[in-house]
Order: sequence, then C-alpha cells, then structure tokens
Amino acid sequence: MRSGGIRRYLYKIWVLCLKDMRLYYFKGPTVVMGILMPLFLWLAFVVGRGFSFAESLPALVTLASFFVSSSITPIVMPWEARQKSLEMLLSRPVTIRTVLLGTALASSLFGIFISSALVTVGLLLNVVPRDLILLFLGVVISSLCYSFMGLLFSAVPSDVPADAVMLSSAVRLPLIFVSGIFIPISSLPHYIKPIAFISPLTYFSDLINYSYGHSSLLTPSIDIVVLSLLTMVFAASALAINEATLMRRL
Amino acid sequence: MGPNGAGKTTTIRMTIGIIAPDRGEAYIMGYNVHKEPVKARSFIGVVPEVSNPYVDLTAWENLMLVGGIYCIPKKVRVKRAEELLKMLKMYNARNRKVKALSKGMRRRLLLAMALISDPDILFLDEPTSGLDVISARMIRSFLLKLKEQGKTIILTTHNIDEAGMLCDRVAIMNKGKIIARGTPKELKIRFGEFTRISLCFDREVDAKLVREHLNPYEVVVQGRRLVIICRSKDLGDVLDQIVRIAKERSLSIEEIRASGLDFEDVFIKVIGEPG
Repeated sequence: MRSGGIRRYLYKIWVLCLKDMRLYYFKGPTVVMGILMPLFLWLAFVVGRGFSFAESLPALVTLASFFVSSSITPIVMPWEARQKSLEMLLSRPVTIRTVLLGTALASSLFGIFISSALVTVGLLLNVVPRDLILLFLGVVISSLCYSFMGLLFSAVPSDVPADAVMLSSAVRLPLIFVSGIFIPISSLPHYIKPIAFISPLTYFSDLINYSYGHSSLLTPSIDIVVLSLLTMVFAASALAINEATLMRRL
Repeated sequence: MGPNGAGKTTTIRMTIGIIAPDRGEAYIMGYNVHKEPVKARSFIGVVPEVSNPYVDLTAWENLMLVGGIYCIPKKVRVKRAEELLKMLKMYNARNRKVKALSKGMRRRLLLAMALISDPDILFLDEPTSGLDVISARMIRSFLLKLKEQGKTIILTTHNIDEAGMLCDRVAIMNKGKIIARGTPKELKIRFGEFTRISLCFDREVDAKLVREHLNPYEVVVQGRRLVIICRSKDLGDVLDQIVRIAKERSLSIEEIRASGLDFEDVFIKVIGEPG
C-alpha cells in the first residue's frame, strides 16, 4: 500500500472511530458495564475495609481500563446488525477489518481517557506513580488489548447486543478475581494460579501495582511484553473470527 | 425483476462484493469486487434493500460520515450534501435525527448517501419498496433525472410499472436464474404472438367451469371479469368458447377487449402464475 493509500486507510479508520464514539459512548450497556460496574466493584472492595485511596487507586485504574475498554467492542456489531446499518456501511469502500479497527480504536480511546482521568485525580490527591510514562504506556497497551478481547465476544453472529454483553460478562467477571486485583496472586489456591497467568488482566494489574509502588510479581518489561503479545493474539483472532461470521449477521 | 426469493438481492450483494459467489467473478470498472472490494466500491453508490442510516445521527451527520468513508474533502462533501438534500427535498430536515424521519425520508437519505461520492454506477435494491405513492414517485422522478445525466443505474424491483418506466434493459429472474432479458419493448415483442382478452359478464361466473372450457389457455377469473392470454392464432377458438359459456349460463357479455400483452402480462408469462 502506498503512503497515500495508507493515509486514506487510516483516515477511514478514524472516521469510523468518530462514528462509534458518537454513537456508543453513552449507550446503556456501555455505561452500565463499562463505568458503573468497575466503580461499584471497587466500592465493594474498599468501603468499610480501611483501605486508603492511595492503596485502592491501582485496583480502580485496572478495573476501569479493563471494563471500559472492553465495553463497546462487544456491542457494536450486533447493534449495527439489528439497526440494519451494517450492510449500508459495508456497501461503501471499506472492509470489515477497517470497520472493526475503527470500533477497537474508539473503545481503546474510551478506556485510555477514563483510566487517565483516574490517574489525574490521583495526581491531584497526591497519589503519584513512580513512573508516569510507564504507567501511561501500560494504560495504552492494556486498553488496546481489552478492546480487541471485547471484539472477540462480538463475533457471535447475533443481532442481540445482550447476547454479546452476557458472554463478555461471563468471561470478564471471573477474571477480576483471579488476576491479583482484589486477592494477591501469591495468596490464590495453587490450582487457580495457572489461570491467573493466562488472564490478560494479571499483567496490567501487576504493572499498575508496580507503578504505584505496591508489591508486584513480575518486572514491568515482562508485563509490557506479555500484554503486547496478548494484544496481537486478540487482534488477529478477533478480526479473523468476525470476518468469518460476518455473513451470518446480514 | 423477479418475484420474492428470485435472487435479486443476492445478485446485488454478490455484485458489490458483500457476499462471495459460489463461482464466477464480478468486475466494476475493471476491479474484481472480491479481490479489490475497496477499489471497486469506490466507483459505486449503493442503496441496499434492508438497510438504515444511523438512526441516532442526524441526516447531515450520516451524509458526512459516508462522505468521510469515501475520503471526500470536507468542502466538496458539504457542497454535495447540500445539493443532494435540496434536490431530494430534505434540506430542512438535515439536522433531525434519522429516528425522527419517516420511512420515505430515510429512503431518500439513503439515496443521498449513495450519491454523495458522485458515483459512476448506482445499485438500488428495491428503492421504492414499501413507500407511499408520493415518496415512491419522488424517488422515481429523481432516478429519471440521474439517468438523463448518464449515470448507470442497476435497480431491482418487483414493481412492473417501475421497471417499464425507468429501465432501458430488463432481466427477469426466478429461482436464481435470469429467464428473460431485453428492453421492455423487446420483451413485449417477444411475446407479441400472444393476445390478451379481457371481458366482463353481467354476473359472476364459476371459475372452474370457465377454466374447463378454456383449457389450456391462461385464465384469470375475478368475479364477473376474465382475463385470458392465448396465442393470437387461437383467438377464434377462445371467442367461440366464451360465447358458448355465455349461452350455457345465460350470461351477457358487457365488455370485451383484445390487446397485445402489457409488461405485467409478460412478467406473468415468464414467471408463471404463483402456485
């Protein structure tokens, strides 16, 4: 693809991303599963347990990045199939891959924005991370990772957004209890520990703990590398599976 | 043209590269639609049959979105959107959300969205299906203007009058196959050896009896009215039979008319009567 071609390709992704931002940031499932759910989980974790804001902020940032970034991608394809706008979109000079990348970008940016806002609130309350750049890098990669993970759930060829939300919740909710957010991985039963290491949430949680000076299991570079690899795996499989199931949506 | 389930929408979807064919290839302006769908689709505008603009966006935002996908510079996009909305009598509704627009307006908006890139070829899948008379007429007259401008328009319809009015060439499909094609005039000429007789008795007639007498001709009985399609050479025999029915049942013939087939007759002749 020539540079003009690449520019046009990226521009189309951006146009589709803007469309998804406008249409899906304030949709019911996004607000409930993306914003309220992590907030209430965090409150359930901290209220009455004597945790300070500084101690519990890493958990809030991790939950926010995870839930917000993976809240939009599962619903866009079913929603658009139901609204009968998907075929209208695919009749234009775009591929399904461009459409999905636009959605993933919109979802990631939402996650980055909300997580960054929480980090900023922390800074204002004097909860300062030891390496802000590393933290931001982690937020960007994890948001991409979780938004592509969410895209995997949208591959179910259904035009009912609730189906995708249900599937994504069934996977996402258990992950938060095995990824070292509420319970340290070292305290998990030995038969759950292997699951912790295949959870994409573990590595971001570990990186955030490190960034805020809490105890971490792995080095930040390992966390970043594993998150990047998982992002590539989720992206490749989400795009391939969505392409394969697309026709059953129309 | 074709009845429901004939394969019209599937053909359009294959031709624009949305679904893959079992075999064969389609090219638009020299680009294979399945190997280079983005390039091929950059020359076309499409109004799919079952589709909607984004209902939570305004008409204007929908047009800007599609213009953006075609990478049309903003100034050009805005100018073209204004022109199209004015031509389609939607300019005053441009800032209304699509969910507040009527079905006819949504269809016109889809047409504007298909035309925002000023495409060489326009694919319209049942563009007037389910619309009220005024909206359908407005779309038809707009399509005629586009045709006069030299745009290539490929449209599917099961509305015979619409095809006769808008199309230079017609293909009639059934069960996934083209079973007749030509200009509307050619199709009529091809079936010119047939005559259509329409008549009206003074009372209702027994359809079964009529069909027995007029076997093997094609007969449609609607109360007092009959339509018979036969070969012109059999006209005498058909008239004899009609007179015999009238005598046997003491019926009077109030009106009788013989003519060549119209486009609807051609369609029925090719497709066959339902059932």
